[in-house]
Amino acid sequence: MSELKLNVADGRMAFRPGEEIEVVAQWQLDEQPTSAELHLVWYTHGKGDGDSGVVRTIPFDSPGIAETRRCTLRLPKAPYSFSGKLISLIWVLELIVEPGARTERIDITIAPRGEEIILHQGLASE
Amino acid sequence: MRARDNPFAVQRVLSVRYRLQDSSWDDLLARLAALNYRAAIVGAEGAGKTTLLEDLGTTLAESEWRIRRLRLNRNQPRFPRGFLTPLLSQLGPRDIILLDGAEQMGRLAWWRFLWRTRHCGGVVVTSHRAGLLPTLVHCTTTPQLVSEIVRSLLGDRAADLQPKLDSLFWEHHGNVRAILRELYDNFAAQQ
Repeated sequence: MSELKLNVADGRMAFRPGEEIEVVAQWQLDEQPTSAELHLVWYTHGKGDGDSGVVRTIPFDSPGIAETRRCTLRLPKAPYSFSGKLISLIWVLELIVEPGARTERIDITIAPRGEEIILHQGLASE
Repeated sequence: MRARDNPFAVQRVLSVRYRLQDSSWDDLLARLAALNYRAAIVGAEGAGKTTLLEDLGTTLAESEWRIRRLRLNRNQPRFPRGFLTPLLSQLGPRDIILLDGAEQMGRLAWWRFLWRTRHCGGVVVTSHRAGLLPTLVHCTTTPQLVSEIVRSLLGDRAADLQPKLDSLFWEHHGNVRAILRELYDNFAAQQ
């Protein structure tokens, strides 16, 4: 049975914009993968049709059947993670292994002070 | 309530798939084959036509049909000039076209579309009105269906909403999409 794991090295899930983080990706598969990639993705969630964007892709060269790989990436300065009543913008780190598009995702927060901006509670003071 | 926590967010609602009533997928596929894969899914707004068409496409693709999805709506009631010719030239007997919103086409455009797709393996459309092609399914909604959908999204909390669901059903004339949008707003207003 295949297993994928994804973690930020220091265990945090909330970060400041522009911060550099180290990501640890692990996989143990039943067959030789053809590719393994880490994606940094934002997506919207709420009342209307969702939208999303892949901001960064880090391929892991020559992936084996069972591996632990580390990489660093600098988080974008915007947009911040936020939630209102109609829409939330959520950042995700995503490990995708082919074939089969096997995926492991973790939600992270990117915002000043590492706190999601809550729109209907008013603007957070900087 | 944050949008990400709202149980009626679109992303959660989309996970609720079409519920065949009085039929099975095997029956549906057998009927579609008997209609030579040319049929219509008919029903009022918010009755589940698009959802059923999507699920049908997924099922047909598993049987090694090649699926081509097209969509028309009020904002785009016709295909862009030059769009269909190159697309249709690539299609053959193993291709099925799934056209969502066929009722947007005028009579002449519809007949031309049927003629130009005669070489394809099949055409399945959604429409508010019957008559474009033989009816595969007439989608209808009931208060019970709405209750089931809400229960799948809310779990045990759905019981508290039951009196409201019945009135919402009649208020929105059975339009499930509109009902779920109103429930989204109701939950969004909660602290």
